[in-house]
Amino acid sequence: MVDFGPVTCAGCALLCDDVLVSDADGAVRLTPECPLGTAWFSERARQANAPAAAIQGQPAEVNAALTHAAELLRGARRPLLHGFDGATVEDARAAVALADRLGALVATGGVEALWPGAPAVPLRGASTATLGEIRDRSRLVVVWREDPERTHPRLLERLGFDGDSERMLAVVDDADTATAGRSGMQLRWTRERDLEALTILHALIGTRPPETVHARELDQPLSGLLESVRAAPHMAFVYGAGLTAGAGGQRRALALHELIRALCQERHAVTLQLLGPPGARSADDVLAWQSGYSGNVDFASGHPELVTATRPLDDFDVALLVESSGAAEIAVGSLPPGPDAQVWIRTAAAGVSARGTAHRLDGVPLALQAPRPDDAPTAAAVLTRLLEAVQR
Amino acid sequence: MTAIRIAGGRVHDPANGVDGEIGDVCLADGKVVADVGPEARRLDARGMVVLAGGVDIHAHIAGPKVNAARKLSPEERRGHPMDRTELLRSGTGGVIPSTFATGYRYSLLGYTTVVEAAAPPLAARHVLAELRDTPIIDKLFLILMGNNQVLFELIRRSGGAASSELRDAVAWWLEATGGYGVKLVNPGGVERFKQDNGNVHSLDDEVTGYGVTPRQVLEAIGGAVDELGLPHPVHVHANNLGVPGNADTTLDTMRTLGGRQAHFAHLQFHSYGGKTGGQIRSRAPELIDYLSAHPEITADVGQVMFGPAVTMTADGPVSAALRDLGGDKWLNHDTEVETGCGIVPYTYRAGSYVHALQWGIGLELFLLGRNPWQVMLSTDHPNGGSFLSYPKLIRLLMDRAYREDQLGRANQRAIRRTALLDGVDREYTLNEIATITRAGPARRLGLRDKGHLGVGADADVTIYHDRADREEMFATPRYVIKGGEVVVEDGELRRTDDGLLFSSRAGFDPEVNRVLEPLFGERYTVSFGHYPVRDPALREPVHVVEAAT
Repeated sequence: MVDFGPVTCAGCALLCDDVLVSDADGAVRLTPECPLGTAWFSERARQANAPAAAIQGQPAEVNAALTHAAELLRGARRPLLHGFDGATVEDARAAVALADRLGALVATGGVEALWPGAPAVPLRGASTATLGEIRDRSRLVVVWREDPERTHPRLLERLGFDGDSERMLAVVDDADTATAGRSGMQLRWTRERDLEALTILHALIGTRPPETVHARELDQPLSGLLESVRAAPHMAFVYGAGLTAGAGGQRRALALHELIRALCQERHAVTLQLLGPPGARSADDVLAWQSGYSGNVDFASGHPELVTATRPLDDFDVALLVESSGAAEIAVGSLPPGPDAQVWIRTAAAGVSARGTAHRLDGVPLALQAPRPDDAPTAAAVLTRLLEAVQR
Repeated sequence: MTAIRIAGGRVHDPANGVDGEIGDVCLADGKVVADVGPEARRLDARGMVVLAGGVDIHAHIAGPKVNAARKLSPEERRGHPMDRTELLRSGTGGVIPSTFATGYRYSLLGYTTVVEAAAPPLAARHVLAELRDTPIIDKLFLILMGNNQVLFELIRRSGGAASSELRDAVAWWLEATGGYGVKLVNPGGVERFKQDNGNVHSLDDEVTGYGVTPRQVLEAIGGAVDELGLPHPVHVHANNLGVPGNADTTLDTMRTLGGRQAHFAHLQFHSYGGKTGGQIRSRAPELIDYLSAHPEITADVGQVMFGPAVTMTADGPVSAALRDLGGDKWLNHDTEVETGCGIVPYTYRAGSYVHALQWGIGLELFLLGRNPWQVMLSTDHPNGGSFLSYPKLIRLLMDRAYREDQLGRANQRAIRRTALLDGVDREYTLNEIATITRAGPARRLGLRDKGHLGVGADADVTIYHDRADREEMFATPRYVIKGGEVVVEDGELRRTDDGLLFSSRAGFDPEVNRVLEPLFGERYTVSFGHYPVRDPALREPVHVVEAAT
């Protein structure tokens, strides 16, 4: 039996908005099926039974928690706002407003993961597209060192690879991933050779007559990919942290965008960046329009400054966690964030118990519905009250 | 709300036939009124010039393309930080300011209403959210329809006519998004670019796969907008922007819209002679002649200003061409079903033949134009330059000696190929400036209460010191009043209230849902039921302008 729907699922950054939800005997089922979505919806629905707030681990009234959190923030020497995994546009707008007032640093990437460092797009740009463009036009889709079958379970379906298709799905990965198992072509080389592979592809795509590859174990896979690339009038490259994270990530990403730019001389080529957390794109977009910069932005000097260098976490004495991956919550305390947060406030989970707006990984804004509304405040409401409190 | 008497200023209100008369302007409850009592705040405007608040008919200030440009060029803003204060949010300036900075800076220039001229309907939620964060000014946005596959299908079914289904669909889209008007960008050409880097080159090229031509798109959607009686006519970015010889296409487009009301965006970029592959030359005089004979057509100029700019357009193939002309950075984004987007940061140089000619062509359009109600001020911000350059542009129009000095600094080979050295001694009057920056745009937008100072008008007023240096004068208003409240005094912001969103509404048969839903299902990756924006937090406060029919 379908209880709700269609609704938008915020279980991952794909934000599928055709989801039917049934809830029989406490077991949530989503149609179409999706393990991430089911887990997300179940956890967020279950969270409604948690205490409304806590101070140093003890249940507390929300108002008392807000008062205590505001005191911590007012007294902060170097505050940090981070998280945003499940944040809506509304949450992010309120968070950046608070950061501006506090002079805080806003980190839209998780602080426990690798600091994202300098992105490649501002160096030379990019060519991108929404899901529908790739589904309807790309004859070749290359997934570069990502496994969306695990991280974005409906991606291939939404890109049109859910049945017989004359289109080619190629996967660059030396691991036997689930996505590679569905591909028509797997290109195996180690991650250390990605930059070399991208550079060789770039060098060879425009050569007339086609040259062969002479790069030892890259020879055969690159030759196959090159053939597919030359045959496709429209293609897409799907990439993510598998390419961009860690040392050399910016150079690898830049090499990909330069390859796409070169491909665009004679055909249409686009990229799609796989973002993990569903709130990542929303938070980044809001930060960009309110401050002028995306990524990590520091308001300490009274105006926004782009931060691209790694900052040691012990710089920060008070951290405010906005909508983590594990729960709909606002937590204020020291770093690293965890159960010892001095103040914790349960928030209404956008997409389950609160409405909101979120930006899909390709930038398309979508409404989130509230099939199971509850009385908890949204993160935006909590952050707005904190702003009012610290301004007093 | 404060009552205000603006006392003793020299009033320029061309919509009401007022040309520099000394008098009082009274404001109460957010409107211009005939009189106010003695308790009203008195602003001594003796020796000052009083105009309605500025109305920018064509700019790009919010939405995914503007935000993508911010992300693309962080270095462009590093030198333009804006500190937070007790009143103001912090931000960054530069050619593409952050949202709060955009609202503040337009207000500081005396502008009170701005049109975001190219919004992908699919991204309406994003556009609306950014506009919510753009304070003080009133905002409108135009939705992109010239490359919409669903509309192509309706046009194909009707054989190119503005069918009732098409009219209903246009009205439905405005209602679904909160948009104010309809924008066509390179009709058919953007769709062709997204297919395989193609384009259309004439109005009769078929849009591959859809069985329609740009001419049919213009006729059908232009006709639908006209028949719906929308307050703003179809807003056209014609095919072949920037291409040598494109004046032929522009004139063909004007003739195609034959007798219907239409507004042509950034006409400067569409006024070129020359042959494909060759250098451009000016055909501005021909276009001005055509406009003079066709009062149903208006245009904004899209003036190029020397210095930094960021080209951002739904016209993907134009952006790709700029990339190949030496653009360092290039960002392309394809939006399913509806449109494209290209961004290339750019610098216009006085010594460049092409840039100087573009600059000269823009000035020709202004200076040869006979009717200031037809040719309106814009830089197509930020494509031709920032809106912050408007005061300098106004000085170029009002101050012949200054203009001639600037002409002497530009590439002379280019300037010699314009009419500017042929004794063009025109100097715009203040009433003409008020027309091209206020009265004309407001009238063309169908904003009856904007752009003038008659009783019942919105109390949006800008008061300037009457300085000989017109650039300084228009850069630093003494007072700016928005909605009856003084928001700027002596270059300082005093209030930062939200502005209104202006939307338009035309009736439509709800049965159009049955037509659209299956077409959506085949094409979009967003559910039909989730596409319309319903959230009051995004759509309000709103002022709805009803269509005439």
